Amino acid sequence: MKLVTAVIKPFKLDDVKSALESFGVNGITVSEASGYGRQRGHTEVYRGAEYTVDLVPKVRIEVLVDDADADDVIEVIVKSSQTGKIGDGKVWSTPIDTVVRVRTGERGVDAL
Amino acid sequence: MASTLSDAAARGFAGSGDYPSQRRDLLARPGRPGLATRRELSALTDAWVADVFAAACATTGHENGGVALAAVGGYGRGELSPGSDLDLILLHAGKSTVASLADKVWYPIWDSGVKLDHAVRTFDEGRRLAGQDLAVLLGLLDSRHVAGDPGLVGRLRSTVLADWRAAARHRLPALREAWDDRGARHGDLRHDLEPDLKEGRGGLRDLVSLRAVVASWVADRPHRDVDEAVRRLADVRDALHLVTGRAGNRLLLQEQDAVAARLGRPDADDLLREVVGAASAVSHAADVTWRRAEQVLRSSRTTFLRGRRPVLRLLGPGLAEHDGEAVLTAQADPTADPALVLRMAARAARAGLPLAPSSVDRLAADVGALPEPWPDAARDAFVDLLGAGPPLVPVWEALDQAGLVAGLLPEWAVVRHLPQRNAVHRFSVDRHLLETAVQAAPLVRGVRRPDLLLVAALLHDIGKGSAGDHSEAGVPLAVTAATRMGFAAADVRVIGALVRHHLLLPDTATRRDLDDPATVAFVATAVGDADVLRLLHVLTLADARATGPAAWSDWKAGLVDDLVRRVGLRLGGESASAPAGLTAAQRALVDAREPAVLVEPGDAVTWRVTVVAPDRVGLFATIAGVLAHNRLSVRSAQVRTEDAMACDVWTVVPERDGEPRADSLRRDLLRAQSGDLDLTRALDGRDAARRAPAVPPPPPRVEMVQRASGTASVLEVRAHDRPGLLYRLGRALALMGVDIRAARVSTLGAEAVDVFYLLGPEGGRLDAASVREVTRLLTDAAG
Repeated sequence: MKLVTAVIKPFKLDDVKSALESFGVNGITVSEASGYGRQRGHTEVYRGAEYTVDLVPKVRIEVLVDDADADDVIEVIVKSSQTGKIGDGKVWSTPIDTVVRVRTGERGVDAL
Repeated sequence: MASTLSDAAARGFAGSGDYPSQRRDLLARPGRPGLATRRELSALTDAWVADVFAAACATTGHENGGVALAAVGGYGRGELSPGSDLDLILLHAGKSTVASLADKVWYPIWDSGVKLDHAVRTFDEGRRLAGQDLAVLLGLLDSRHVAGDPGLVGRLRSTVLADWRAAARHRLPALREAWDDRGARHGDLRHDLEPDLKEGRGGLRDLVSLRAVVASWVADRPHRDVDEAVRRLADVRDALHLVTGRAGNRLLLQEQDAVAARLGRPDADDLLREVVGAASAVSHAADVTWRRAEQVLRSSRTTFLRGRRPVLRLLGPGLAEHDGEAVLTAQADPTADPALVLRMAARAARAGLPLAPSSVDRLAADVGALPEPWPDAARDAFVDLLGAGPPLVPVWEALDQAGLVAGLLPEWAVVRHLPQRNAVHRFSVDRHLLETAVQAAPLVRGVRRPDLLLVAALLHDIGKGSAGDHSEAGVPLAVTAATRMGFAAADVRVIGALVRHHLLLPDTATRRDLDDPATVAFVATAVGDADVLRLLHVLTLADARATGPAAWSDWKAGLVDDLVRRVGLRLGGESASAPAGLTAAQRALVDAREPAVLVEPGDAVTWRVTVVAPDRVGLFATIAGVLAHNRLSVRSAQVRTEDAMACDVWTVVPERDGEPRADSLRRDLLRAQSGDLDLTRALDGRDAARRAPAVPPPPPRVEMVQRASGTASVLEVRAHDRPGLLYRLGRALALMGVDIRAARVSTLGAEAVDVFYLLGPEGGRLDAASVREVTRLLTDAAG
């Protein structure tokens, strides 16, 4: 099993959600996040004062998938969240040892 | 003996056999549960319990008195709800055989399946327990004889009541504490989406506490509306019991539709609205009663010692503070002075005082209708009230309860007690609107029009009672209301825009690409100018804070801030409109080159004071100080200098009755300039006597207005208004040797927004260091 994690632009959340749904993903976890990447935030002048925006708001999506689906899910997220500009975010996957569904105690792929 | 026994046994048997089925039949009757059903159920139960008791006495040899059965709690009041326990006490005169009697009474009741809450006590035990335990006391205050020796029940009840009256001084605070504690633990019916009808604040249990206060003879409670409200809450609770078949008191979302149907209500929203309406009446009665009780407890402590007479402390014309409440004085005339409601509410809220119920009743009975549009003084008082912070809520609720809000703001009716089915909201719509104004109050320094911010905060969700998108539906309602309040057409448009777009910033920030110029252009077009953008930004923050913890996070705030910055850059800086030119009459005064003071009437309460004098550094401060010294509060001013002559037009409101006098103003002006009148000392003395607001207003803010003028530096001061504020600001500028070429002063409600066009000692704009220094001095002076 794999955990696919994506950090994307907030306004792309709806697109990614519906794309994952049509792919057949059962559940996702979404959280508010902020940070910076290669762009290192940006600086703006507003009302005479300089503002440094060093942490950019992002949305973090986590999806647990079977090994075989991982690459497809990554592809779906990348396609649906791409704007082609800086700050589009990143998607990565990590191997997962164990998954348990709390209600039933099912383990492994059954718990996805 | 044998025949009596068998008779009683037969009656007892027949009774216990009949009761459950009779009870079932009664509760299975279709239609609306109500007071009649509760009384019928209570009477039916009485007859059965009396039979059971008689039979038990017969079999255990207690026919000769010395024992009695009393109903307590709700059953004691003769009202039994479908899911309620039977609260019974078996009273005895110390008989050792009472255990066998108790068995014979309780077992048939248990066996019938009815839930029983029982106790066996002697007179002394009952009295002692009531003296220790408030719950026992509250039960016994409602006790009622059901069977056996009536004297036993009557004696305990009257003794417990007498003990309670004697000890009320010491025990009422504990009752009050229990009441507060219950509200904290079980929530508030007025805005909980799943209210606890019994234990929540404003619920059925509140009235039990109030009955105890009334029984103590310390204070009476309001009766009008409250008994009816409690009856309605009890009806909802009965319907809930019938629908669920359980005794729970929390009106859960999943039961609301069925309960509404059982009560013949169109839907769950309508049901909740009724619950909120009834709970508001109960809550208000509880607040009023407790306040009364605490006043009595406080005063009886002091009058005994010092024989003090009631002290009235004047809060304003026709208004005074008395014993911790705002009251109307004998001189107040609500019929002739319809703005009195707003002035009283504003003063009370600023002072953090509740409105005295008797004064509210007097206002409700006598107040005349405000002319439409409202006079400036009424609008100012309204804005002042909205900006008072948390004390706004109880003051508004007191006005609303008395029907006074409906007279001022008819649009309020559609959102009054309106529930909202929404995961992020924690308040009903009306309370949310008040809360938004409360949250906006500390943020007024962020905008140049605190009045528009506060009114838009109060009205932003006013469309929620109408069909369709509530932001759109609210616009015509807000426009009508703002027009009635007497706002200028341009200001009404801004209020309309704020209502229409109050969700624009958060919606766009979280759902659109902020890097896309089209997003920024879209918002910029919708908003129109930088002032509206800032109003909208602050309104968004206040709205979010008033909604609930789930509605807002630093993350969302960051997105909205980013959007506002980008749109702000696109819209450019704010403009500051320069004062208008001189009129012909003013021109003539300037050309005469003599100091002159002219006083003309403005609208109903304002006067226009024109001052013409040779310009010199500090003139502005001197005029402002003379006006303050003559107890004239400045609502607005236009200050210009032409040909070395200053021509200043001040709109003022006298703080006391009587019109401003030109000759005394002119004399004071000359005395101040010659040094015969020390304005600083005169005004400092007044400042010391000033009453501090209950909620400290936000600190002053001084901002440089970019690009407003090519020849002068423009600074904007925003501060809480107080007597002598302009004098202090003017003096700070004079000390720097800075010349005020023009100024626009406005007082919006209780907040002042003053714009100064400043020239350095050499003429021309101030350098950056001077701007910093002037900003610091003005901030200190305004604080």
